[in-house]
Amino acid sequence: MADEHEESERIARCRNGDHAAFELLVQAHQRMVFSIIYRMTGSVSDAEDLTQETFLRAHQQLESFRGESKFSTWLGRIAVNLSLNWRAREGRRGEIHARWAQDAIVDGGAAGELPDELSRRVQAALQRLPGVQRAALILTAYENQSHAEAARALNCNEATISWRVFAARQKLKRWLKGVS
Amino acid sequence: MAERRVVNNSELDAILRKVRVPEPAPDFWETLPRLAANRSTAPRVPCHRTTSSWLKWAWAAGAFAAVVAAIVVIPWPSHERPSDLLASAKLVDEMLALFPSRLRAIVEDEKGMRVMLSDQRDVPASPPLYVRICDGHECASLVTFSGQEVQMAGRNLTVLSDTRGGIILEGKDLLWSSAQSFLTGKHLTIVAKSLDTTSM
Repeated sequence: MADEHEESERIARCRNGDHAAFELLVQAHQRMVFSIIYRMTGSVSDAEDLTQETFLRAHQQLESFRGESKFSTWLGRIAVNLSLNWRAREGRRGEIHARWAQDAIVDGGAAGELPDELSRRVQAALQRLPGVQRAALILTAYENQSHAEAARALNCNEATISWRVFAARQKLKRWLKGVS
Repeated sequence: MAERRVVNNSELDAILRKVRVPEPAPDFWETLPRLAANRSTAPRVPCHRTTSSWLKWAWAAGAFAAVVAAIVVIPWPSHERPSDLLASAKLVDEMLALFPSRLRAIVEDEKGMRVMLSDQRDVPASPPLYVRICDGHECASLVTFSGQEVQMAGRNLTVLSDTRGGIILEGKDLLWSSAQSFLTGKHLTIVAKSLDTTSM
């Protein structure tokens, strides 16, 4: 992973139309962006599409990146917001995901689960959360963003993020009862 | 059977950290940087339609074809000619459901019935207006919305509704109002009404 100085140089080159610099930025952050979107959507194919869309948006909006946050935080913000909009567009599909998630939790076993099964159950539980709670939890728990950074990403205040994270964790604790 | 215990905060963190994200398609990581760089310089074009979009359009086209076929093919009883159908709000409602904000007019004249659609979703919502014009030889009917310019009985007409539910027709050699019944141009018989509140 490039250090911050190297990354700033790449961003500057990219602003000047250097394709190679943009490719390096994509390479450096693609897995992080894909992870966020997969956790938001629960769909690999949608995560592939939205990851690409995230980088296109980032390229278009690169002038607006002032370096006040890390580039990865800024990218995460685009990814989360695209995923939230995706949820709104795919409302019906979201309902299907939610039903599937509920079934998975009800049917899920308690002990001796394979890692795949654990991942499936946790992902199903994440999908059951309201989009804004899921986004807050993903940014703080998985992307290690502070509540202040997550608040900027989701365009709300810090107290709202704290409440959303708290509410999400309470629900997950109940839903993941017996999982270890 | 022992009741399952609710996980605590540190256990939840541990569980969340164990979760792995599935891998995308095998060549995804290799191709994405180049693909994103290429797309970032290409002019933006509308995304391809997804299968579900195509299904939606196929359904809409099928339903539209069924409505048109019903109008054209079914031998309507004399009291239920297409003109009468136009005057009923049901057909308009169905067409509006198929083409929201795109339906400009449904016209029936000597050439048959045709639907006029806007390319964009830019037709403002207003009560549907029914207009029938006869010139002594032929008649033409249409249902449209206030502000729409339509071709009818060989002339371009703008159909307007006023605040009291009256209807005004305006064209090159024609100015007609349902409220004042004045008319310029050659002799025509005109009937116009709002399909919400009748005004003759």
